Amino acid sequence: MDVCTSSSTPQTETFPSAPAPRPPSLWRKRLLEDRVQLPRFWPVIQNLVIQDLRVRYQRSVLGFFWTLLNPLLMMAILSWVFSVLFRSIENYPVYLFAGLVPWSFLSGSVNECALCIIANEGLIRKIFVPKLVFPLARILINLVTLLLSMGSLFLLLWPLGARPSLPMILLPAAILLFVAFTLGLSLIVATANTFYRDCGHLVTVFFQAWYFATPIMYRAEDFPAATQWRFRLNPAYYFIELFHDLVYFGKWPQFSSWLLAIVIALASLGIGYAIFKSQEDKMVFRL
Amino acid sequence: MPYSSRKKTRWYSDSESHGPGSRNRASSAVPLIELRDVSLRFINYADKQYSFKRAVLDLVLRRESPVPVSEFWALRNINLRINHGERVGIVGGNGAGKSTLLRLLARIYPPSSGTVEVRGNVAPLIEMGAGFNSELSGFDNILYNGAMLGFTRPQMLSKVEGIHEFTGLREFADLPLKYYSSGMYLRLAFAIATEIDPEILIIDEALGVGDAAFQERAKDRIFKLLGRSHAVILVSHDMNSLRRLCTRGLWLRQGQLVADGPIEPIIDQYLAWTHAANAS
Repeated sequence: MDVCTSSSTPQTETFPSAPAPRPPSLWRKRLLEDRVQLPRFWPVIQNLVIQDLRVRYQRSVLGFFWTLLNPLLMMAILSWVFSVLFRSIENYPVYLFAGLVPWSFLSGSVNECALCIIANEGLIRKIFVPKLVFPLARILINLVTLLLSMGSLFLLLWPLGARPSLPMILLPAAILLFVAFTLGLSLIVATANTFYRDCGHLVTVFFQAWYFATPIMYRAEDFPAATQWRFRLNPAYYFIELFHDLVYFGKWPQFSSWLLAIVIALASLGIGYAIFKSQEDKMVFRL
Repeated sequence: MPYSSRKKTRWYSDSESHGPGSRNRASSAVPLIELRDVSLRFINYADKQYSFKRAVLDLVLRRESPVPVSEFWALRNINLRINHGERVGIVGGNGAGKSTLLRLLARIYPPSSGTVEVRGNVAPLIEMGAGFNSELSGFDNILYNGAMLGFTRPQMLSKVEGIHEFTGLREFADLPLKYYSSGMYLRLAFAIATEIDPEILIIDEALGVGDAAFQERAKDRIFKLLGRSHAVILVSHDMNSLRRLCTRGLWLRQGQLVADGPIEPIIDQYLAWTHAANAS
């Protein structure tokens, strides 16, 4: 046992001076500041979201109708093409829906976040606002679209075989993880595009390629088993698989899929946050 | 010199609770604003496109300074303390760094070096229409702008009455802000910024826009703010109003603080200097 047993202590002349309080580390300070600032600026985020939705759905019913019609038409075309060209997947429109709607959330959010700092230049140069507010608002706007179109498209697909199942109660968890993943990517792209304006264009092309590389229109199982491992390199694959399991197959996803999704989401969020915060101060000079 | 007893102090954001730090200090002894050796550098990226290609090349070739970009020190080695109840007027020619200093205090620009400590709520009236949304109505904008300044909806709702009273724009409250005249805009912005009772009010030339009646009432309101021992920082080229409103003057020249003291001698010095510069 590591206990001092001697009864006498060495005599000391003076007490050592109290250790200087350790200055909080940079990252702890940033996190603490965000914890204080973001709730404080929550009304601003709210306002940005409501305002955007109001403008989008200003002409009311038709506006929202179009946001639904777009994926519907897309799904109609893809269903037709794929049922003719490829071995058909059972309930193909539902399969497509389960992957396509989350994907449009991802690509929509990242593409919009690329411009969010530049678009709010007027605000940033005139008044102090934590810059994290802008990507967060864009994500929330897209999240509203995601939830609305998921709900209503599911009902529209009822005649084509969309049925609720018990595992769908885990859908909020899957969406939460996916939002974290998307937010991380968005923060990286928002930072990069503020400093290098050509990033926005690259991102659009990149997402087009990524879309085809992810099993949304097709099934990964249709590929030869020897090449299956390539899909495992794609971080979006795990999230889309979760959505496929929950919405299309109606089965409980494996525990390992959840674990991987959590790890990827947290890694993306952490890296995105670190990159964004480290460059946040410099952004105002690059607008 | 007050700066000799330099202590390591941490940055306070204006929303943090000052509890443990200020508990055993008399609050009046702590300056509201403290700038230590603050410099601000602008780098002009516009003259040479700093592209992704160049960034990659710099990284690969390990060039330390990317390109010989032109840089510009907007502020250099500013030391400044502003206490409760001070009315500070800033004078200086165009491009002397007056507005940059105000933006630094409003936390829009981070300092390139040195530390900035601002303890308290800042209400900046730096540019017209900062934190307003022209699509929203006047009433909604009061709430929106209040949120930007750090006030919750219920807090702002209790202040709406006072704001309307000062602006006299009650009947226009439901009108979108884009239909407001610039005078109405200014009155609303000024009323919100002063109604929230900020510890630090920053005004940049904004007072010149309103009509004479408004200017009188605005001055009254600033004096009332001062009665509650808050600080006001004013930038103006109107020396008469500075003389009337301020107690302390700062003279900025080429980003440096050349004089700091009671307002009257500072303005006299400044005017003498401009005359001399014009004569030669």
